[in-house]
Amino acid sequence: MSWGDALSWLLRLLLSPQVFAPLIFPGLLTALVVLLTVIWAERKIAARVQMRVGPLYVTRRLGGVLQMLADGTRYMFQEFIIPATADRLPFLFAPVLALTLAIVPFAFIPAAPGFSPIKSPYSLPAALAAISAVPLSVLLMGWSSNNKFAIQGAVREAFMGLAYEAVVFISALSMGVLYGTLDLEEAVSRQWLPGLLLNPVAAFAFFVGMVMSAGKLPFDIVEGEQEIVAGPYVEYSGIIFGIGMGLAYLKLYSLSLIYTLLFLSGWEPVVAPLYSLYPGLGGVLLFAKAYLLMLFIVFLRSVYGRYRLDQALRAGWRIYLPLSLISLLISILLRVVGVV
Amino acid sequence: MLRSSEAGGVVYSRLIAKEGDESTYELFIGPQHPASGHMRFIVRLEGDIIVSVDPDIGYVHRTMEKLAEGREVIKSIPLLERMTIIDSHNVTLGLVRALEKLLDVEPPPRARYLRTLLSEINRIASHLYGMGIAGIMLNHSTMFMWAFGDREVWIQLAEDLSGSRLTHTYSVPGGVRRDLPQGFADKAEKAIRYMEKRLRDYMAIFLDNPQVRARYEGVGVLRKSEASRLGIVGPNLRASGIRYDARLAEDYAAYSELEFEVPVREEGDALARMLVRVEEIKQSMSIIRQVLRKIPDGPFFSEKYLRLLPPPLREQVAKTGRVKFPGVFASLKLPEGDAVSRVEMGHGEIFYHVTGNGSTKPYRLRVVTPSFRNVILFRYLMPGHRFMDFPAIYGSLDYFPPEADR
Repeated sequence: MSWGDALSWLLRLLLSPQVFAPLIFPGLLTALVVLLTVIWAERKIAARVQMRVGPLYVTRRLGGVLQMLADGTRYMFQEFIIPATADRLPFLFAPVLALTLAIVPFAFIPAAPGFSPIKSPYSLPAALAAISAVPLSVLLMGWSSNNKFAIQGAVREAFMGLAYEAVVFISALSMGVLYGTLDLEEAVSRQWLPGLLLNPVAAFAFFVGMVMSAGKLPFDIVEGEQEIVAGPYVEYSGIIFGIGMGLAYLKLYSLSLIYTLLFLSGWEPVVAPLYSLYPGLGGVLLFAKAYLLMLFIVFLRSVYGRYRLDQALRAGWRIYLPLSLISLLISILLRVVGVV
Repeated sequence: MLRSSEAGGVVYSRLIAKEGDESTYELFIGPQHPASGHMRFIVRLEGDIIVSVDPDIGYVHRTMEKLAEGREVIKSIPLLERMTIIDSHNVTLGLVRALEKLLDVEPPPRARYLRTLLSEINRIASHLYGMGIAGIMLNHSTMFMWAFGDREVWIQLAEDLSGSRLTHTYSVPGGVRRDLPQGFADKAEKAIRYMEKRLRDYMAIFLDNPQVRARYEGVGVLRKSEASRLGIVGPNLRASGIRYDARLAEDYAAYSELEFEVPVREEGDALARMLVRVEEIKQSMSIIRQVLRKIPDGPFFSEKYLRLLPPPLREQVAKTGRVKFPGVFASLKLPEGDAVSRVEMGHGEIFYHVTGNGSTKPYRLRVVTPSFRNVILFRYLMPGHRFMDFPAIYGSLDYFPPEADR
């Protein structure tokens, strides 16, 4: 086998959906870029509302877009301190586990028609299941830190996790019922109207569950720095703290992709020239929609403060859970009528 | 578990008997904590419910009273205004009043109006500071940024008037240091119109925001009886339905010649405390308008001390509107005796007691600051609330740690 053969084999491997999707688009690399730009955008949007300029220190001409990269580099070289009282192995293992679990959903999220790493009829529950396992590792982080504030944060994560998972799952399930499939790719093809219009109740409940799950304001409760400093991440420093901070954005990214697939008719209409160039690029619209959604969610920061834990839980159990159940009923009704 | 009793006028408040129990969870908040300020709270929790809060105020260590006894009285003005640097004219006005009583000197009318002017500018800035901190305690960063940004407007006005941004040292025994600069009235009017617009924005994004209302309504209720028994002062007292204001009780500056209302609310919860502050900002702005309309002409510094200046300097003072202090002014001898005074700050009433013994230094200088009187609220308001209400109540109290540790 010559070098040329090896290179083309490598390229083929890299461009196959099984590798390209989870690693490059919409997976790891894109997620990293999203992570950097969304946090930057969040700061810029908040700055606009708050009548200030936002990050400008690095790349002033580009509006400080490289600020997050600089911050990431700083995290990378910061001393990583393990407290003497912490449980070393889980303390180190938990953030790694969390990051892994936050990336797993990309294995099930299709980027374009016929372009998903793992083609499965159960890709929707599989992706959601991976996302909903993240709180367990956050719990582990807080517990292994052996710090009172961290444990408070971990307990909050547990409470919040229980409250939003049910909402997200049931509203996703109601869309599954509506489309008659749990496959995300199928779900897009069944939307003659965006799911948002077909079942707005489910879209709303899923949206709130998503905001809760990503810990964005007004549900920024787990790491409430005014009460518990940084919650489960309080003892972490250096890059592992960065992982903890980026975790929420990763979750937000994968949930926004799922939201776009379920409610915003995903990649439809496909940008045909891009798709014919390379199928993986067909998901440009999917990405754009998901990104806009994320921008809206981070915009909420400049409008809201933080709900109290019990208020958020009450909202989760008493308002959004019934709403998601209602959305299930609506879906069944629509299905019986034969709308979809 | 939760007890609340008003029987016999005794307020057990919501203090719970379980303090020290093994089932409580003890959290030490501060002195290095995003929301504690320069102080420490020992919070005991049962689950998510606060059982008790012990405020531990001693982490600023500036011992203002003792330091003030070691230097000439005039030097204690710039020293003591560092207690509440956000409200630095109001905090020293009481001292100046007490010194004036001891030295038997009265400020001329124009000086009294100028004092009122800077006091009200400071009050607005202080309330904005408090609202900003209250905002960030709920993680409402927009409110924080807005309030601190708009505070700049008032700081700028104060700078125009006194020549320094934060520590004005404007009032001195016998008058004020500087006269009203030219064009000040226009600037003030512009600032007031801007602030009126901004207050509506604040209401829209913060105090009328359903999320913030959910955090504030019915939280940290201070009953009228409790408020008067605990000796609470300032907007916290007035939000509980007691109409007390040192501006009414003690005739100082030009307040007796001006018309203003003292906003009072009955609810006594965190929201009421915030709304009282908003109303006070409006009242302060109306006072500033009145002052600028009514301000009399004349000297801004007492003749008694101006007479000590050589005639050419005296003319210069009249021309430039700035006092060149006579040399003896720096070492005024305090006659024997006591003087007390009280003044309404943004945070509440501040009380001064100065004892002179015939030397240039005060024999004893005692301050009772509003935050020191309000700090007890942490112990009485918090228990029974959720842990997440801690910053909400803290923010609504407008408590300023360096002021308490004097």
